[in-house]
Amino acid sequence: MDHEEVETLIEDGIPDATATVSRPRGVDDDDHLAAEVVSPAFEGESVLDRHELVYDALGEHMTTDIHAVELTTKTPSEAEE
Amino acid sequence: MSFESEPSLSPEEAQEQVDAAIEQNEVVLFMKGNELMPQCGYSKRALGLIGQYRDDVATVDTLEALDAYREALEEHSGWTTIPQTFVDGEFVGGSDVLAELDEKGELEETLTA
Repeated sequence: MDHEEVETLIEDGIPDATATVSRPRGVDDDDHLAAEVVSPAFEGESVLDRHELVYDALGEHMTTDIHAVELTTKTPSEAEE
Repeated sequence: MSFESEPSLSPEEAQEQVDAAIEQNEVVLFMKGNELMPQCGYSKRALGLIGQYRDDVATVDTLEALDAYREALEEHSGWTTIPQTFVDGEFVGGSDVLAELDEKGELEETLTA
């Protein structure tokens, strides 16, 4: 699964989310992805709960189509800091 | 990097190992490899993050029976990804959750609650 598809999955699964998926280990490594997700839905949520929202959006793809994705989650205001 | 050798644990044994490790240790990290030879970047990162605040982390090498361990862990955390950290029986998260908690200055408190 390439990183654009992962971006769409996350953005479709979380209200008003913007997902930026990158490949920290080089362009030919689509297995180890990193995703920064910004959404107002994270307001007041613990770090774990935020990550769970993202994993829910990714659904059955985790560990099957997507080997690993390293998440960073922010609210719009945190993203501006 | 996980090699598909013959798993040495049955699903039931993996479940027992997971349940016991979570119950008997204040801090336990289910990882790929072990403390001396982490076999995955995320596992190594998790070890480093926890190691800042705890020197008594118990580790379990899930490579011994990866699929069985994933299933057993899912019972506790709802997640199948590795690594996974538990503190006092509570699921804390993977290496990215640990990193984000550390960035927000909440990791020490989470690990020593």
